[in-house]
Amino acid sequence: MARIVVIGAGFSGLAAALRLRQLNHEVTLVAKGVGGLQLSQGTVDILGYAPEWVQAPFKSFAAFIEANPDHPYATIGTQPVKRGLTWLSDLLPGLVVGDMEKNVCLPTPVGAMRPTALYQPSMASGVLTKGKSYAIVGFNQLKDFSPEFCAANLTRTPLPTGGSVTATAYRIDLEVAPGEADSSALRYARALDDRPEFRTRLADAVKTVIGPEDIVGLPACLGLDDPTIHIDLAQAIGRPVFEIPLLPPGVPGMRINEALMRALRKAGARLVLGSFITGFEASAGSIVSVTVQQAGHDRELPADIVVYAPGGFESGALTLDSAGKISERTFDLPLTGTNAADLVTGDYWHDQALFKVGVRTDSTMRALGPDGAPVYGNLYAVGSILSGATRWAEKSGEGIALGSAFAAVNAIGGGK
Amino acid sequence: MRKLRADVVVVGGGSTGVGVVRDAAMRGYKAILVDRADLAQGTSGRFHGLLHSGGRYVVSDPESATECAEENAIVTRIQPHAVETTGGLFVVTPHDDPAFGDQFLAGALKAKVPAREIDPALALAREPRLNPGILRAFEVEDGTVDGWQLVWSAAASAQAYGAEILSYHEVVAVERTGEAVTGVRCLNRKTGEDVTIECGFVLNCAGPWAGRIANAAGCQPVDVVPGRGIMVAMAHRLVNTVVNRCIYPADGDILVPIHTVCVIGTTDHPTTDPDHLEIPREEVQQMLDAGEELIPGFRDARAVHAWAGARPLIKDKHVAATDTRHMSRGMSVIDHRERDGLSGLLTIGGGKLTTYRLMAEHIVNAMEEQLGVSHPCRTADEICPGNVPGKTYLITDRLHEREEDRLSDQIICECELMSRSMFIDLLEKFPQASFDDLRRQLRVGMGPCQGGFCSSRIAGLTFEEGAVDIERATGLLRLFLENRWIGLWPILSGDQVRQAALDDWIIQGILDVDHLPHPAKEEI
Repeated sequence: MARIVVIGAGFSGLAAALRLRQLNHEVTLVAKGVGGLQLSQGTVDILGYAPEWVQAPFKSFAAFIEANPDHPYATIGTQPVKRGLTWLSDLLPGLVVGDMEKNVCLPTPVGAMRPTALYQPSMASGVLTKGKSYAIVGFNQLKDFSPEFCAANLTRTPLPTGGSVTATAYRIDLEVAPGEADSSALRYARALDDRPEFRTRLADAVKTVIGPEDIVGLPACLGLDDPTIHIDLAQAIGRPVFEIPLLPPGVPGMRINEALMRALRKAGARLVLGSFITGFEASAGSIVSVTVQQAGHDRELPADIVVYAPGGFESGALTLDSAGKISERTFDLPLTGTNAADLVTGDYWHDQALFKVGVRTDSTMRALGPDGAPVYGNLYAVGSILSGATRWAEKSGEGIALGSAFAAVNAIGGGK
Repeated sequence: MRKLRADVVVVGGGSTGVGVVRDAAMRGYKAILVDRADLAQGTSGRFHGLLHSGGRYVVSDPESATECAEENAIVTRIQPHAVETTGGLFVVTPHDDPAFGDQFLAGALKAKVPAREIDPALALAREPRLNPGILRAFEVEDGTVDGWQLVWSAAASAQAYGAEILSYHEVVAVERTGEAVTGVRCLNRKTGEDVTIECGFVLNCAGPWAGRIANAAGCQPVDVVPGRGIMVAMAHRLVNTVVNRCIYPADGDILVPIHTVCVIGTTDHPTTDPDHLEIPREEVQQMLDAGEELIPGFRDARAVHAWAGARPLIKDKHVAATDTRHMSRGMSVIDHRERDGLSGLLTIGGGKLTTYRLMAEHIVNAMEEQLGVSHPCRTADEICPGNVPGKTYLITDRLHEREEDRLSDQIICECELMSRSMFIDLLEKFPQASFDDLRRQLRVGMGPCQGGFCSSRIAGLTFEEGAVDIERATGLLRLFLENRWIGLWPILSGDQVRQAALDDWIIQGILDVDHLPHPAKEEI
């Protein structure tokens, strides 16, 4: 049994911490705040674009890795990703369904057809299917979702696998509180969780407006605690119902976040939240402790192993100062780029090389120095800190997160 | 083909052009303004936002200083909604010569620019982020001005006097019969329609583009040398009064708090193409260094956006430099009657936004002199529509409005507190507008998120309201994001890099906007 400190509470950090705890290690999770999952769309992407639409993620791996030798998948390989996905599906059967060998298209709020592999049961009926008709219903009080925009783009866009769908927009008035004009998805989710009559109101309102469409799409707000609300609604409306993930904070992402946090607590991991790492001690090429700022003072956490899952630029783990210098915030790890000057261009639609900068690792996920040797023998880097990917464009974020976490876990091995 | 008739056509919808069209309309002329783009899309919207007290020029150009002091008071009176009376400071930093302060005070007295030396401790108490090592401080009556609000309210005043404002009308030719101007031929860039305006006089107020209009009239080439200057906006008001460095005018010598940001400016480099103004990395660094000298820690503050503007400088040996009757300082007028044998055309260059009204007065006087008539100028006497007398802008205005309508309306742009009805109302007036056109009047997408959250919302609203079809609505969303990036990538660092990554997660990751069907290039 090793004393393991996992830093970061995003997808990779939570997965690594929970898996290591299941393997009987003493796990402390340190995070400065809530992780990135709550901002996500709540699907599990493996590889969606390479850059063309990817039909079968794992079948495309070999060619993708050959074309992108610096991509995290080139280091991680297929097996850890598959193991991670299987583990997650088994852990959260109520939140993760789908076939990891096959991408599907799910509609986005602007009516794009977004590829993903695994998704939530509440999204399953939204898997866009040739020839089907969809009623896309928005709420007047929810500004983050325009059913008109969504439906019009869905109708005019050919499916990547051929054929098309038809979508029709509808709107309903649905006040969470009397007179409230500007509600968030989270307000709706809580109302649907807590108030059975609100579910009835939603179902009745939808039933009244929609036409003869096959399937009903709603903004993703169908409960935070209860992931089965879509089933109730489908019964009441008499058609399959699905939800469309919205702008952050995203209700589906929060569901997975809360489920993983619950599991972690239950498994007996120690959680140190709201705390920055302010320093660390290393000896003989290994990290021996990290210093955590907690309740106004520094506290040392001894560590046999550190799993570093802090996120990338979006979380502030990778920083860029005003003079153009890129750094890694906590351990000052060597990065694949240090000067941003030539890494950003004015072409908005082109991938920015800056966002591919990160930490390089060996196949066990140990962070490497410029000499190709691990910087510290016991520091494993996982998730968005890894170099070589533009996750939002590739739709590869969760696959890299889980895959790298499982590659690290595999290298660390089980405790006693 | 559409045919119109006017006494005078004003080319260019910046501050000079709208000032001129307002003045001409108020003097009773049937006036039409044309611009190839939206109002104040060029130089008048691409400056730091300073409404000069005159302090900047008391040593280098005292007459200019006097004009600024007078016009500052007039603009604040007639267009209070566009002006925030922040006040200003001139500070001597430890790197500057304290003796310049004496020249400054003497110059201010002579130029009738109100200025008073105050204890540096008092300046620091007012602006705690100022360099604690400042040696001297002087308070002046600088203000800040929203160039877009200024231009739009002057345009509204002109319209109230019967003027027509035709944006997105590009001048194709200035028609002439022998030695006299007879009209202007335009292309409506939104509809593709040809528009001919019969007129006896054309006032070329196209700023950096004035040379093209002179060409369109068949005149000898006018030598316009646009002076490119960059500005960097920081995401907070690090200061609440305008802070000037008390030195001879130089690059990066001013920090202007305007709306939710403060802006450091500027640089000055000659350029050739005012349509493509670069924001070079080294100039951004120069601005940040300059900011650091005024406000220690400036580099660690959050830069949110940068832009470049082009000063409309004309270097032409035919400029009537000696004819001071019809000139404001820094302004140049070419009378094409003397220069090219063409009557009914004046080309105007240079000038300052603060003195835009005075410039317009001089230009219309010059036109009247050529026409052999004279009417009094009344532009300083009347408040522009949409302004409440004495009610200058306060940064808390929008918060106040949102508190009033928070239960009945939605906030579409949280950063800039733009409500749904603000957007819908303006969209109804300008159904063909691009999101950037609407942004300049509403500030949507100008805050820290730079459109990450609001851009898809306004695209939805625009389509829902039936203003455009889905191809166009999608295209407008893409165009808006592309254009925001122009001012983002040169300054990307610190927290704004985090924001850019989050925005990419939203726009590409969650929404997958990049895979919506779209043409290779979006029309304006």
